[in-house]
Amino acid sequence: MEFGPIFRSLLRSRARVILIVAEVALTLAIVANCLSLILDTRAQLARPSGFDDEHLIAIQTNPFDDRLRDQKVLDRLVDQDRRTLATVAGVRAVSHTGLRPWERSGNITAVRVPGTHGEPARTQSAEADPGLFDTLGIPIVQGRGFTEAEYDHGADAPLSEVQPVVVSRALADALYPNGGALGKPVADAEETQRFTIVGIVDRFYNPFGNTSEKVMFQPARSVGFDFGSRYLVRTQGNPAPLMPQLEKALLGVEKGRFVQLRTLVDSRDEFHGRDRLLVASLNAVMALLVLVTALGIVGLTSFSVAERQRQIGTRRALGADRLAIVRHFLLENWMVTSFGVVLGVLLAYGLNFGIVTWVAGAKLSLATVAAGALALWTIGLGAALGPALRGARVPPAIATRNV
Amino acid sequence: MLLYNLRLAWKSVRRYPVLSALILLGIALGVGVSTTFITAYHVLARDPVPGKSGSLHYVRMNSWGVADDPFRQTPPPLITWRDAQELLKSRVPARSTATFASRGTVFPPDGTRPSRQSLRLVTADFFPMFDVPFRYGGPWSREADARPETVAVISSALNDRLFGGANSVGRTIRIEKTELKIVGVLAPWRPRVRAYALVSDPLGAPEPVFLPLALTGPMELRPAEFQMSWRTPAPGEEKLPYASRLLVNEVLFVGFWAELPNPESVRAYRSFVDAYVTEQKKHGRFPHPLNNRVTSVLDLMAELKVVPPQTKALAVISLLFLVVAALNLIGLFLGTVLARASTVGVRRALGASRWTIFVQHLVECELMGLAGGILGVLLSLAGLAVLNRVYGDGPKGVAFFQLDVPMVLAAVVLSLLAGAIAGLYPAWRICAIPPARHLKSQ
Repeated sequence: MEFGPIFRSLLRSRARVILIVAEVALTLAIVANCLSLILDTRAQLARPSGFDDEHLIAIQTNPFDDRLRDQKVLDRLVDQDRRTLATVAGVRAVSHTGLRPWERSGNITAVRVPGTHGEPARTQSAEADPGLFDTLGIPIVQGRGFTEAEYDHGADAPLSEVQPVVVSRALADALYPNGGALGKPVADAEETQRFTIVGIVDRFYNPFGNTSEKVMFQPARSVGFDFGSRYLVRTQGNPAPLMPQLEKALLGVEKGRFVQLRTLVDSRDEFHGRDRLLVASLNAVMALLVLVTALGIVGLTSFSVAERQRQIGTRRALGADRLAIVRHFLLENWMVTSFGVVLGVLLAYGLNFGIVTWVAGAKLSLATVAAGALALWTIGLGAALGPALRGARVPPAIATRNV
Repeated sequence: MLLYNLRLAWKSVRRYPVLSALILLGIALGVGVSTTFITAYHVLARDPVPGKSGSLHYVRMNSWGVADDPFRQTPPPLITWRDAQELLKSRVPARSTATFASRGTVFPPDGTRPSRQSLRLVTADFFPMFDVPFRYGGPWSREADARPETVAVISSALNDRLFGGANSVGRTIRIEKTELKIVGVLAPWRPRVRAYALVSDPLGAPEPVFLPLALTGPMELRPAEFQMSWRTPAPGEEKLPYASRLLVNEVLFVGFWAELPNPESVRAYRSFVDAYVTEQKKHGRFPHPLNNRVTSVLDLMAELKVVPPQTKALAVISLLFLVVAALNLIGLFLGTVLARASTVGVRRALGASRWTIFVQHLVECELMGLAGGILGVLLSLAGLAVLNRVYGDGPKGVAFFQLDVPMVLAAVVLSLLAGAIAGLYPAWRICAIPPARHLKSQ
């Protein structure tokens, strides 16, 4: 291989070499960091809630008619709503609950094992009726759910009474790291209220505060004139077509209120909206950047081929075959690209250090950098191939002209 | 001379159409991508209350009562109703306001179906503090806060819906059970970052209704955004009227802003807040070490990361993209320029000076830069339209990210700069070539 002559000829066209090296290096640095940001964000986007998101509708109702200021009327209305929603064709399960999946909203409370001191565990807490677990599609893996009697009694229960609760595995483990949480007591941070764990669910993920996997469900009706009431409906098929019927059914029961319906998939998409936009933006930037760089390499290699027509002609006249010419230009390009890649790896780590320090994000992994380097090598060679082939077509006769 | 140079540039574009298109595309992509993401960053990071962000200060204090204190480092983002009422009495700040968001049913005057709206509870000072623009009428008076009077300020969108856009000052609307007199209608107003709601939902739209804070008790308005409490209500407390409950409960839901025009007043106000908390400690409140914060708007924005870090990262990355595009350009220009070396040789031999040749090629590069820049701005409009599908206020709402004059100017300067940087070296190379070398080979 003619490394020596190629290297010496590179030294004669320093401007071109510096340009390609700089372009490749910067491109690699940017691509590696974009990839790293994308992988980091993707991991969060892929996290499932554990619920049957695709078949769930969240309904928020808010009363405005003065008749509904009476708490007893509202309580009765909730029972009517639950019955009515369950009768709509295509509905699989209905729940009245304070849980707001994918809405970055709800209650966070601090709980502890009674009698212990130190940092309490922070957890989401939500009121639930007996139908919640069926509606979300999360089975109770240990213990039991709530009874209708517990739910009916829950909201009016005095503070002194020990309430049954269902918790997620993450909360159970946080409170009782050695296992066996079922049947054990829990209290709020100041121990004014006591609970007993009667059931544990395995699957629960609702990003909110720093408590995404921890939840404590209490059996209680949650309805008030100022905050309304909330239902989750699980459908047999596609939930969207059922929404007008559900709205009509609820307004048929009581029209002195607002009813808002939303599929869980919509809420989830909105929740992920900015992250998805980020991933799309990074992808677009990467693709355009690679395109620009590839065009640049094509352009520069073309000029170098055009400049050296006579030189190619001479080599061909002296016996070099076409393959030798192609090899020459590819090798030359590979050497330049390699300089760029080496410099680019350093730059990538430098840029990553800057981004992690001053902005945010994850550290660059070796695999990401390696993938970026490999991609740039391939792109560099691919971009040089066209001009090199064109160079190989220069006829030997060129060498004899204009001398 | 310029005209002659422009004509030469046009000729060279026509001679290398594919290459010229590539150059144009390169600049357009570079300027388009960087303008898009720098605009996204600029819209979020710029001063949300121009000229006043330095003087508006947010007040935080740690009233958390139990032994377990999640706010050891940073005090909670909101304060209690009772503390807000005490702070409002201070005359140290030029202006001050306490605020929270609620929700309520608005009954149209014509008796049609009511609607549920977000409400913002504020004091009279709020409007001048945050430069809220009015179309009709104006804010209520400080006396209206004190009494309190049943008055309201509504947004221009709500005024359009309820009153067909007419001047509705003096008319009344009913919210929940209270009849309120409209004293002001806002001009269309959509700050991209709501300085007054930094801790809850800074990118949301302003509420359609503003009410005097003192109506909270009488109208029984509950906080609709987040609230925190460390204390379970004492027995019997739930039975008290709402207005009295507000004065004894320890629920944190109020944001507090003070306008402090100079460093002396900031210092004076800090010692006032410290003195207030020390005084409260005597009554058994504020058990934790003194940890009060009086923070300016821009500092609070930085602390709360109102600009998502990813937006910053993208702005940096897109600037580097522009650098790559410019490097690319140098290469392409170098190619087109050197390909014409023999023509230049003839021109030099016929008497053109180096300077003439240099200027000629620089003009050509600048022309390409400018054309690419204009194309780039158009591209960034498309890019921003994509971003707006996620950030905007719904399909008919305001486009969240918009190019403003400074950003367009920045894009033009950027593209001229790219043209200059990319053109200098090739132009210098071509004018430095001795004419004889190229004449010889003809």
